[in-house]
Amino acid sequence: MASTKTSDMSRKRARVAALCGALAAVLALSAAAEAESPRVLIQRTIDEVLAILRDPKKSDAARRPELETIARDRFDFDTMSRLVMATNWKKLTPPQQAEFVDEFTRFLANDYGARIERYEQEQVEITGERPEARGDFTIKTKIVGGKNDGALVDYRMRQKSGNWKIIDVVIEGISLVANYRDQFREVAGNGGPTVVIEKLKEKNAAAPKPS
Amino acid sequence: MARALAAALLLALLAPAGAIEAEPAGDVQAAAAVPDDPSSDSHARSPGDPWEPFNRKVFAFNETVDHYALEPIATGWNTVVPDRVETCLANFFDNLQMPVHFANDLLQGKPWKAYETVWRVVVNTTVGLGGFFDPASAWQIYKSNEDFGQTLGVWGTPPGPYLVLPLLGPSSPRDATGMAVDAAATAPVSWYFIPVYVTVPARSVDIVNRRALALETIREERKAAFDWYAAVRSAFTQYRENQVRDRAEAPKEPQETQDEDLYGLDEDE
Repeated sequence: MASTKTSDMSRKRARVAALCGALAAVLALSAAAEAESPRVLIQRTIDEVLAILRDPKKSDAARRPELETIARDRFDFDTMSRLVMATNWKKLTPPQQAEFVDEFTRFLANDYGARIERYEQEQVEITGERPEARGDFTIKTKIVGGKNDGALVDYRMRQKSGNWKIIDVVIEGISLVANYRDQFREVAGNGGPTVVIEKLKEKNAAAPKPS
Repeated sequence: MARALAAALLLALLAPAGAIEAEPAGDVQAAAAVPDDPSSDSHARSPGDPWEPFNRKVFAFNETVDHYALEPIATGWNTVVPDRVETCLANFFDNLQMPVHFANDLLQGKPWKAYETVWRVVVNTTVGLGGFFDPASAWQIYKSNEDFGQTLGVWGTPPGPYLVLPLLGPSSPRDATGMAVDAAATAPVSWYFIPVYVTVPARSVDIVNRRALALETIREERKAAFDWYAAVRSAFTQYRENQVRDRAEAPKEPQETQDEDLYGLDEDE
């Protein structure tokens, strides 16, 4: 978006402005507006997750798929897959990459569902935010109450086609992406990157709810 | 402790780190207890772990000890002792560690934190009935977790290679030195004033109790891991670095570099 085609740009801007005007009313009414700020998105996610966990009418079995749906919507599993595989990503063929994303998504969604289930008596407070390299954004949260009182959980966000998505969860300084990257490096080091896919499949097959 | 556990619950990996944070020997041991590791023979592919073959052996040993001794005992303990009592015991032992945290607060030039630590002990020892309860946290007088390993870090000592100690679990030359210094500074006091028939059982109770509190967390985390050794190593290393960095106020260079690396999509080409 440099300075060369200024007229083009301003025309575009005018059009955008007009559109915005037309949609303003709709957007104002919609809680789930496009291009929600990272902070608002995290707040909304927290609210939704806690609502599911605290709904006394829902059994654990009913909660799990709902939590997984939220995970699939809020996380950018595609980016996360590349980050955890790092140098091994390019060693996979495109179909293998697709397979990896698919299996890793299932694994993390399930894992997220299992972990988050235990959090019902806790509150989550957003304590701050911080811009990061590459246009990323970190939202800092703190767990209040319950067994995990005081635990710090940061969400690293990246914008993807206009929407902010979570690309990492950092708990007390421990990055989920870094952790799985370190593990996958070892696994791939002992037999190649496709072994990671096999292991993911094994885990997903063993999961109680492969959704 | 609560914090460490919290994190552990989410990611698990915290267990080892939490251990160190809470009580040098107790949880570390727990954390170190680990199941079979499929990729046991990888040859130092990991930066920061040149001693990997040795470390994996010690890790496997710790795992075995946990599997056949500590975990079963902690499981039994857990069925007999109510959760509330477990928490109270953990609070009690935490409170006893405060002199260590106090000294390290001072060594790191944090007089305000040292002051808070004193306050905590006063509040929890009195209102908290000898330290079994933790009213201080409810009043936002948070726990300091400084130890000498962190103090060395704040003074600029790098951790050195990852190191797994027999029974004590994940560490580094810096943190192992710190642990020894903390122990050497406090042990004589307890040896002198408290008879062995009290300290040894008390210590055992502390270790078993902490392992009991982490039972579910560690079980879950082992299950979620692809390479449990690497998972624990990664969590421990990141957790300790974060602990040191938090206190060192200025962000450290290596972290920045690692950060770049971690979130870049294009460096793999």
